[in-house]
Amino acid sequence: MNKATSSNNVHVDSTQKTNRLTLSRRKSIISGVTSVVMIAIALICAIPLWYIIINTFKTIPDMASHPLALPEHWTFANYTNAFTTRSLWNTLIVTVFGVLIEVIVGALAAYGMILRKSTFTAVIGTILMVAFVVPAQSTLIPLYRMEAQAGLVNTLTGLVIIYLGGSVFCYFLIVGYMRSLPFELIEAARIDGAGALRIFWNIVMPLIRPILITVVVFQTMSTWNDFMNANVFLSSSNLRTIVLQVYNAVGQFSTDWPSFMTITVLSLLPVFVFFIFCQKWIVSGLVAGSVKG
Amino acid sequence: MMNPCSRTAQAAEDAVRPVRGYSNHNHERHQMSGITTSVNASAHESREYRNRKRMQGFREDVTSFWFLLPILAVFVVLFLVPLIQTLYFSFTDFNGYSMNLHWQGLSNYRKVFSDPSTLEGLGFTILYAIVVMIGVTLLAIPLAVVVNHKFFGHNFVRSVFFFFSVPSLAIMGMVWKYIFSPMKSGVVNSVLSVFGIAPIPWLSNSGLAKFCVIFIAIWAQIGWHATLYLAFLQSIPADLYEQATVDGASPFQQFMHITVPQLMPGIVTSTFLLMSGGLKVYDLPFTMTKGGPGYSTYTVTQSIIQQGIGQSQYGVGSALAVLFFLATAVVVMLQLWFSNVISARFE
Repeated sequence: MNKATSSNNVHVDSTQKTNRLTLSRRKSIISGVTSVVMIAIALICAIPLWYIIINTFKTIPDMASHPLALPEHWTFANYTNAFTTRSLWNTLIVTVFGVLIEVIVGALAAYGMILRKSTFTAVIGTILMVAFVVPAQSTLIPLYRMEAQAGLVNTLTGLVIIYLGGSVFCYFLIVGYMRSLPFELIEAARIDGAGALRIFWNIVMPLIRPILITVVVFQTMSTWNDFMNANVFLSSSNLRTIVLQVYNAVGQFSTDWPSFMTITVLSLLPVFVFFIFCQKWIVSGLVAGSVKG
Repeated sequence: MMNPCSRTAQAAEDAVRPVRGYSNHNHERHQMSGITTSVNASAHESREYRNRKRMQGFREDVTSFWFLLPILAVFVVLFLVPLIQTLYFSFTDFNGYSMNLHWQGLSNYRKVFSDPSTLEGLGFTILYAIVVMIGVTLLAIPLAVVVNHKFFGHNFVRSVFFFFSVPSLAIMGMVWKYIFSPMKSGVVNSVLSVFGIAPIPWLSNSGLAKFCVIFIAIWAQIGWHATLYLAFLQSIPADLYEQATVDGASPFQQFMHITVPQLMPGIVTSTFLLMSGGLKVYDLPFTMTKGGPGYSTYTVTQSIIQQGIGQSQYGVGSALAVLFFLATAVVVMLQLWFSNVISARFE
């Protein structure tokens, strides 16, 4: 059947040779129209982003009179003000420690799971499946009480501990990828006398780098952007994360919108940079994970 | 996740040959079991050998346990204990301070279903989850298909849409609140006034507020889901389209009969993420409208936080949390079942 269609194809091609030029021209017209339409749609959708970024360089009256225009006088005062807040550092600390520990815990667990198949690991697999389904909202009240008793409410440590719940998500993404590794590599290292921890660190970790990057990006995004946990667990103003800072800026200086926009841009910038850097990895890791998991 | 059949086969094999016990290659396993039966029959079946292999199996169990220990600690502290407490509190009149609890039976659950604000929150949460899921899916697939073709600036378009998924929905909510502001500074209204349209109270009318929240949720998530679909689109073999073109299928027919079925795994992943994320929604409505006007954009999560932590009604908050967990579990199960049915049909 395949053969028949391909010979048919050749036949059709030779008879339609006269039409070829118009066909390719039609193609180029279609592609031109597509690019005009799509670029226009993208630009319209991007107006809010433009709006945020351009207003960070304006003073309040300038912004109020021409919200979408270029600034009359470029000012960077908003940025210098924003950098003096502690919230940038708070967010950085919470994100780095939270994500680092989460990913390590998840990777260790995934390795423990593929190392041996027994009733024990099967039970743990089921347990983690249940934990994966539990929404954070359902455990929020007891967790708040627990941390209050331990004196961890309103500390960055307490917030990092709450974020460790994400290690279950890390585990699921990593274990799917790990199962696709050639097990012979681990066996060979074992025969050569390497201990389990050494195999994990020197052989398995470098092999799963693509999925590790995916997981790190995912978790960094969700931790950096987290509003619910930060809002519930932090209350003092010097511990605020950047999202909280933006949130409080709305009430605190409701007229000073450029300052608000500046903190907003600052809160977005690191994530943007991170994303541009890792975009390739995220998509490939996602597909790999979902195909094999 | 784990196939029970292969697990028992694996366990049986473990019992016979511990050295290869952890191999996860199917065909090897069959070969090995052939050999092991002959080993079984021979004189190798000594007590010493059996003890040794049991010891080794035990040692491997211990090693794997050490690696699983951290996540078990996380599970117990952050999932198991709080869940049990939530369940327990939901049957009591616990107020967060005095440990002098009274058993209340199901009265907290009855309160949940008779409280108008909670019910309204439940209604909006479900509406949000379903509309956002459908809206994003219907817009993201065509976007991915178009961007998958090469045209001038397709990388630019791809990046622009992708960027919307980066910022936190909480921050987007605050920015859009300003854009929709009814004052002169609100961009939407000032643009409308150019065309002579009177200012519209976007966020203070309950119907419009619902519309705005859902609209922004769709706007913010299209790019990310289109990127997801793009990854799946690129794995569709190109010769399927070539053959269809030769057979005279129109682009629309190709889309319906090749692209959509081939995208099924992507659709399942994407709708699953949207549905479970949608039910947990909190940031966007809270920062945009604080759940208002009235309770028109109130969400289940906001209700849990408000009652449980804000008003110290731990019992009612916990009852709502338990119900929420059950509802999420049901949705996840249904979705898994549904995706199995669909993928079975298309394979």
